[in-house]
Amino acid sequence: MIDEEYRGARQWSRNKQAAFAVGWISFLVAAIGTMVFFALFDPVDLTGIFDDDLDIGRDAGYAAGFFFFWALCALCSGVTAYLVRTAPRRDARHRQR
Amino acid sequence: MNKPEGAALYESAEKIYPREMSGRFDRLSRVATITLLGLFYVVPWLTWDDRQAVLFDLPARKFYIFGLTLWPQDFPYLALLLMILAYSLFFFTAIGGRLWCGFACPQTVWTEIFIWMEQWTEGTRSQRMKLDKAPWSWNKFRRKFAKQFLWITFAMWTGFTFVGYFQPIRELASDIAALDVGGWTLFWGLFYGFATYGNAGYMREQVCKYMCPYARFQSAMFDKDTLIISYDEERGEPRGSRKRTDDPKEKGLGDCIDCQMCVQVCPTGIDIRKGLQYECIACAACIDACDSVMDRMSYPRGLIRYTTENALHHQKSRLLRPRVLVYATLLLVLVGILVTSMSMRTPVILDIIRDRNSLYRELPNDLVENIYTLKIINQSDHARQFDLGVSGIEGIILDGVPDPFEVAGGEVESLPVRVRVRRDNAYGIHDIEFTITAADDPSVTLAEDSRFLGPSP
Repeated sequence: MIDEEYRGARQWSRNKQAAFAVGWISFLVAAIGTMVFFALFDPVDLTGIFDDDLDIGRDAGYAAGFFFFWALCALCSGVTAYLVRTAPRRDARHRQR
Repeated sequence: MNKPEGAALYESAEKIYPREMSGRFDRLSRVATITLLGLFYVVPWLTWDDRQAVLFDLPARKFYIFGLTLWPQDFPYLALLLMILAYSLFFFTAIGGRLWCGFACPQTVWTEIFIWMEQWTEGTRSQRMKLDKAPWSWNKFRRKFAKQFLWITFAMWTGFTFVGYFQPIRELASDIAALDVGGWTLFWGLFYGFATYGNAGYMREQVCKYMCPYARFQSAMFDKDTLIISYDEERGEPRGSRKRTDDPKEKGLGDCIDCQMCVQVCPTGIDIRKGLQYECIACAACIDACDSVMDRMSYPRGLIRYTTENALHHQKSRLLRPRVLVYATLLLVLVGILVTSMSMRTPVILDIIRDRNSLYRELPNDLVENIYTLKIINQSDHARQFDLGVSGIEGIILDGVPDPFEVAGGEVESLPVRVRVRRDNAYGIHDIEFTITAADDPSVTLAEDSRFLGPSP
């Protein structure tokens, strides 16, 4: 009765795991950051800071803020993941000696 | 070592075809799925006082939740609410294990619906596996097309509903019917719809395995008395196939007939018999599967069951233990804070800004004047009359304020206010207090402090 077709769960490569983890976690943190930020500041009040002629609505302001936070968080956790992944392993160094 | 260390771990992707299974927990999960998704799709259509009952009106910066209107200033309530949700999760995890993952997580719930649609169009597990292996034919195309059609339609409906929480859904529906949808609306609708399609249709258990932080740290909330789904190794081993009529004791076998049903139904593709694994989302499909096999073999049910680590080792399980009590206490305290602060919330906000241009002004008739701008936010839905008062110095008076003055429902009123004090009483710096009271309801009252500056003595 053993199922010949079944060969265990599919697995992602380590790079794919890292990429998706970074993307998803930075998405969640960016969502929290956007909520807190725009609870305190109104995008309409902020547009004047960068450029007086810039006149974008709240919709676009929220979206821009969210993507800014997402990019920032992704940069942070992406670089962290890269450093952790590529750090020399302690036991490997021992073996080389 | 230039290559990533994990490269060797990589295996070619094997798609999981969860087998359909009916039973107690399958019924429970169907009820949970229909209830939770039903709420998600129905709630934006509900009406309350001639407006959408639940609407997070971002352009207007107001959240409507049934009778409640929340402003950006109410953000602490949202923070409190999120903390309460987090502690509820800890509390229920400590007691019941991964109940959230198995029955309530959006990822699980939407995956469940997408698997139903897959079953309607492509058939049972073995039919699906055969179909995927078969070369392209009219039948395969027809079934795949039907599945994609259902998935995409459902995902688009989901995206549309999601956007309907942020803008009035009825207007949105007529906009869509007229093919006149704003750019951002379209973008977020497609974004959420596509995320649903990808997560529930394709990524499925990979989200739990590789992307979910809760799945990784939930074990920190576990102890030996937490409910887990476990295979009873003592009873099941040594496993082995046998005829229905065989006496397992004679053959030296345990109760597990090694039929692999528990593996085939698992949506994350693990073998529960290898022990508790972090991939397990506690959906209990394997319990249903094993129970049905045990019934057929006329063995007692529960070879795979909800149990605790202590119970498996023949020790007593306790429900009340320090961990549970701590989570419960924190939860109660947070709920208490939220309820009291919400019930004490006055639906009016008063902000006071002192005039920055002059400290004070001396008037001819021996008076000293300070100027303020008051911002009054009427958080209720209807227009309201307010009385303004000021106190803190003998003989302090307000000038230029209509009494009472009106603020429209849900509006912000900026009011320039002149405050005057007789010169003898005005020397130095004084703390003063503005009070605002609703004319129709004296319990709606608020006091804010400010300062009054006079000439040096």
